[in-house]
Amino acid sequence: MSFEMWAEKYRPKQLNDMVDQKTIVERLKSFAKSKNVPHCIFAGPPGTGKTTAALCLARDLYGESYREHLMELNASDERGINVVRETVKTFARSRSIGEIPFKILILDEADNMTSDAQQALRRTMERYTETCRFIMCANYSGKIIEPIQSRCAPFRFSFLPREEHDTYIKHIAERENIQLLADGLEAIFEVCGGDLRRAINTLQAAASMNKPVDSLLVYSVTGKASPSDVHKMLTTAISGDFLGARKRLRDMIQKYGVAGVDIIRQIHKEIFKADIPEPWKIKLAAITGEIDYRLVEGADEEVQLSALLARLVEAGSEIKKGD
Amino acid sequence: MQFLYTAWPVKHKPTSTAEIVGNPSAIKTLRDWLQSWNKGVPKKRAACLYGPPGIGKTVTVEALAHELHMELVEKNASDYRTEDAINRFAGLASQYGSLFDVKRIVLLDELDGLMGNADKGGVKAITNIVKTARCPVVLIANNAYDPRFRTLRSYCVLIEFKKPSASAVLKNLQRISEREGIQPDENVLKFLAQRAEGDVRSAVNDFQALAQGKKRLTYEDVSWLAHRDRQDSIFNVIKLIIYGRTSLGAKQALDMADVDIDMLFEWIYENVPAHFTDPHDLAQAMDALAMADVYRGRIRASQDWSFLRYVIDYMTAGVAMARQNSKVSGWVPFKFPSRIIMLSRSKAERAMRKNIGLKIRRKCHISVTRASKEVLPYLRIIFKNNAPMAAGIAKWLDLDSEMVEYIVGSKAKTGAITAFLS
Repeated sequence: MSFEMWAEKYRPKQLNDMVDQKTIVERLKSFAKSKNVPHCIFAGPPGTGKTTAALCLARDLYGESYREHLMELNASDERGINVVRETVKTFARSRSIGEIPFKILILDEADNMTSDAQQALRRTMERYTETCRFIMCANYSGKIIEPIQSRCAPFRFSFLPREEHDTYIKHIAERENIQLLADGLEAIFEVCGGDLRRAINTLQAAASMNKPVDSLLVYSVTGKASPSDVHKMLTTAISGDFLGARKRLRDMIQKYGVAGVDIIRQIHKEIFKADIPEPWKIKLAAITGEIDYRLVEGADEEVQLSALLARLVEAGSEIKKGD
Repeated sequence: MQFLYTAWPVKHKPTSTAEIVGNPSAIKTLRDWLQSWNKGVPKKRAACLYGPPGIGKTVTVEALAHELHMELVEKNASDYRTEDAINRFAGLASQYGSLFDVKRIVLLDELDGLMGNADKGGVKAITNIVKTARCPVVLIANNAYDPRFRTLRSYCVLIEFKKPSASAVLKNLQRISEREGIQPDENVLKFLAQRAEGDVRSAVNDFQALAQGKKRLTYEDVSWLAHRDRQDSIFNVIKLIIYGRTSLGAKQALDMADVDIDMLFEWIYENVPAHFTDPHDLAQAMDALAMADVYRGRIRASQDWSFLRYVIDYMTAGVAMARQNSKVSGWVPFKFPSRIIMLSRSKAERAMRKNIGLKIRRKCHISVTRASKEVLPYLRIIFKNNAPMAAGIAKWLDLDSEMVEYIVGSKAKTGAITAFLS
């Protein structure tokens, strides 16, 4: 077992190493071959290889010294307009030395940029096309403004299908000498849903316990990775204790840093098992969906989820009335 | 016994410049200028100290007068309002100042208090005094760049006083708590210092209100505090919103609010549950707040502040109109937003998470936020269960031992991991 982050160790280095997203990879290979790259948007869910594809493309283009021709910015860390005005512009306008006349700027989580920053970016992209090509990675291309979209070649990444996911994970398990049982692999896929980064992290965390990786181990790892006792929170709400439930929610978010989307995913699973009137279940699922979408848009996790908790309190009170 | 009731900002007023919190260079500039009078009348005969309230402008002048053995003639805007009044007092003071053996400083405080037509000529009179002054004139204002002071400004040495940092305010509170013999819990003074936002005077006032007569002060004693001077008014605003009968009434309550919209939102969000007893009403009210939050998000994303009106609609009228069956909940006091207290408490923790997130970002090509949400939990499991692997990762990510300890959560296990590192 090697002692580094496997998600990085096994990140493909070249486009040839990428076994998934085949049609995308083929097109990128042709870019590398012709030594010309348009501005691109890589859109798709997390853990599907967007950043990896961008890095591989850069390496195939520039060889091992690709770092000198590349800049990686993460828009959710530096989403302000000033970053575009200064950092991006400075990088974009200086000429690249070497055979290829342009550099590559990878803008990760680009959908987190404010629209002002995107407007500023659009000018920069236009003016410095000769010296710099942009690859924007985003979960939702819809959140990138139209003028930028129209300047970019779009690539749509999707979650890894089961077989490709399994090939990757099995390959790592083999190389790391881990005993990965079939139900363990199954559980990883079920829990991570094709998000490869998460899958590899789950595998490594499970393997760190020095036991054969079976489904029980995987579930216990993911349980610990998100110490969100969603079930307890929901029963607290249904019993009518809104403040108690909100306190649990707040602890999950603030103390343990559990992501709102993870909480909502679990809530969604629990709703249909919950002890509430049947007609309420689909009603709550609809609200869950709406809130899920709002969280994606960047709303306040606690405020949104506690609106859902309040509905659960209401559903719970209906049962009491019925008794 | 009257001594007991002296206001602490007065009782513990710094008597020397060394005790003054913050603004060392402003103090030095003023001192140098005052001393320059020893060599004759300087080019600019007045100094104008400006900056937000409660940060020690007046105290600085008083302390310097004391240290330089000068006599201080002090007036503030409530005493002088018209040209005549100003001339009577300040004119005399400045003209004959140098005749006496003891040198004199004329201090005109709260210049901003000179207002509009009623005080017409006031600024002009001060300007005239400044032009011909024969002893140093010190003017104090919150906003020296008010257009009314344009001419006056050109005759003044402008000295800006800035809000001292929370840590400077903290030092001042520590000094006072020692002198009063109070033992506050570790976080109490920090909380007060941060809350004051640089206003030293208000921090001391708060401290007195909470601590007078006590020997110990716990975090719970202070955490309910609201922002300065806003406690009463915010209670009224919340009441008008949560128990509003008309949409317009609830909306108009906002005009009375002295806090910003986000802070008001937190107040409503905190207090809605206790005042909406009917589950359906509660759900409606929380929905309204969630919608207000959605519009806040839209403002953030589009930077278009015209959406603010919908935020306001939902958080005021939306909440008020949710009340259908809920009765007035007896007497339930309104509470300070606990979420904010928790946020300030977990600040250090968040800083730590961020720093680890930065380390992860360098290696793993993901944002700090996602690193701390998506990678950190797995690191925690690995670090707890597998010391050699933890050591390898810690080295690879370049984590220091403090970070390792935060991740693994125990000293013993940190030891086991660092043992592998060397």
